[in-house]
Amino acid sequence: MGKILELTVEDKLYTTKYETDSRSHIKVNGDLCRTCSSKPCLRFCSGDVYKINPSEPDQVTVNYENCLECGTCRHGCPFNAIDWQYPDGAMGVKYRYG
Amino acid sequence: MSAEDTVKVDAIVVGGGPGGLAAALTMAQGGLEVILVERGEYAGSKNVGGLFYGTILNQLIPDAFKQAPIERTVSKRSITYLGDGTHMSLTFGADAWSQPPYNNTYVVHRAQFDRWLASQVEEAGATLLEGMVVDGLIYEGEGAGRKAVGVQLRGDEAFYADVIVLADGANCLVSEKVREELAMPGGKIKQEYAVGVKEIISLPKETIEARFNLKDNEGVAYDFLGVPFEGLIGGGFIYTAKDSIHLGSVARIESLVESGFTPSGLNDRFKQHPAVSRLIDGGELLEYSGHMLPEGGYDAIGSLTANGVMIVGDAAGLLNMSLYKEGTNHAMESGMYAGQAAVAAKEKKDYSRSGLALYEEKLAEGIALKDVKKYKDLPDILTSAPELLSLYPKKINQLMVDYFTVNAEPKAVTQKAAMKNFMKDMSKIKLLRNAFKARKLM
Ligand SMILES: Cc1cc2nc3c(=O)[nH]c(=O)nc-3n(C[C@H](O)[C@H](O)[C@H](O)COP(=O)(O)OP(=O)(O)OC[C@H]3O[C@@H](n4cnc5c(N)ncnc54)[C@H](O)[C@@H]3O)c2cc1C
Ligand code: SF4
Ligand code: SF4
Repeated sequence: MGKILELTVEDKLYTTKYETDSRSHIKVNGDLCRTCSSKPCLRFCSGDVYKINPSEPDQVTVNYENCLECGTCRHGCPFNAIDWQYPDGAMGVKYRYG
Repeated sequence: MSAEDTVKVDAIVVGGGPGGLAAALTMAQGGLEVILVERGEYAGSKNVGGLFYGTILNQLIPDAFKQAPIERTVSKRSITYLGDGTHMSLTFGADAWSQPPYNNTYVVHRAQFDRWLASQVEEAGATLLEGMVVDGLIYEGEGAGRKAVGVQLRGDEAFYADVIVLADGANCLVSEKVREELAMPGGKIKQEYAVGVKEIISLPKETIEARFNLKDNEGVAYDFLGVPFEGLIGGGFIYTAKDSIHLGSVARIESLVESGFTPSGLNDRFKQHPAVSRLIDGGELLEYSGHMLPEGGYDAIGSLTANGVMIVGDAAGLLNMSLYKEGTNHAMESGMYAGQAAVAAKEKKDYSRSGLALYEEKLAEGIALKDVKKYKDLPDILTSAPELLSLYPKKINQLMVDYFTVNAEPKAVTQKAAMKNFMKDMSKIKLLRNAFKARKLM
């Protein structure tokens, strides 16, 4: 069956439109991440924003440009390490269908 | 800044979803001077949904369904259990659903629909301020007399109003902050959230109509549970738009974290089930989206009124998270009541908590809160009896497989074996207890 079944999350995010802000609306407290062994943010995020930092595996990188602004990380991070604010007006995700 | 430069209106609404738009419309129709602030470039650009229930919409804008950008009207609904290589559905359709007002159930693209609704609100006289973020409220007074008097716009000035309606949706940073700052009592339990992701998949109109057996602008709303969602409090849906399909999955955040699935991965499991994949075969992805839903139900709803403030819609937790997933009409109903309370408060010149009491009085009399209350035990039931979403449908599905399997046995033997297999692993007492619980799911 066709390609629609084989899309990766990157492929999917490529179809979503954004106005990318020059600064991040997400800040992570790395001291708390160090103590977090399960790192659920790698999984619960609908926009695949959090990734293991390759040079510091107990830290995560934040690809804020992919954020769908769902808010899941504000409830799913067990250590409340994520400071998430709304992007500036008209910035961030811009759904055409929604 | 001098006093003349200060912007002061009767009412400010924070958020241009169905809740905020209904509030702004009601207040503008009632003669109030209203500003609605929306952080997206246009109202709808941050919003995700599937069906729009139009009861309040058609009340506030007579025959709205005739002009609104509705993709298809829902003429057929179904619930499907997805097994391992099997599927079992209950489908219902009604001829009346293909006649105006189409059972008030519409498939819409929310980014386009909310934008249209905002244009109607503007036409009614409200001012839309799009592309502006409200960072918080401005207060006067101390203690019990503390009241909200305005909103702080990010990177800009403050705007002042007698009353502020908070309609900032499920991811409601402003409402959360105001609850704390004005010490508004919370609900019995903490709000709980689910996350939903959705794919809009394009297919030719004719293909959709042939595949789903539809005429003209008829559409379907199919809900799914079963194997792709095993261990999760969640399910999937397919709604048909004109020349695209909404395919999405929703799961409670804690259950998702436990399962280890990503939201996108969960939607893939759903999409790849053979009973589902054939419905979207040949389609192309137009857009991927994500959004939360408040699922704590009635017990998570706290006080919704404070001095100069009312909270409506998803920010108030007014979603019916049963199979109906009703949020749009509940948001509009609460927005309408908040608007009516603001109009009455202006007549009395009393915007204090007691001056706005009409809002929660109307809400208590209305449909949204009653429906959310009817399902108040649902969050608890789904956590305490996960069999209801997994084991039992699975068992019934197996019963169907055993029952309909064509083999060389006489029917009496097949049926007896099917029943025996069905009762295996099922505690009769638990079955009874759960049957009682299941009634509350309906
Ligand atoms: C996947 C999914 C499927 C759904 N399916 C259905 C369905 O089939 N039927 C149904 O009835 N409901 C459904 N819902 C629920 C429905 O979408 C919501 O209940 C409804 O949108 C709530 O309306 P609202 O106005 O309260 O919030 P929203 O529609 O979320 O609107 C909130 C608005 O406030 C704006 N905002 C937030 N903060 C600020 C700020 N600080 N400054 C300025 N603006 C701000 C946002 O940009 C947004 O436009 C679904 C939801 C999801 C996620
Ligand atoms: S879940 Fe929270 S604490 Fe853990 S790694 Fe991610 S951001 Fe850090
Ligand atoms: S808001 Fe949603 S998409 Fe954005 S970082 Fe948080 S979980 Fe990911």
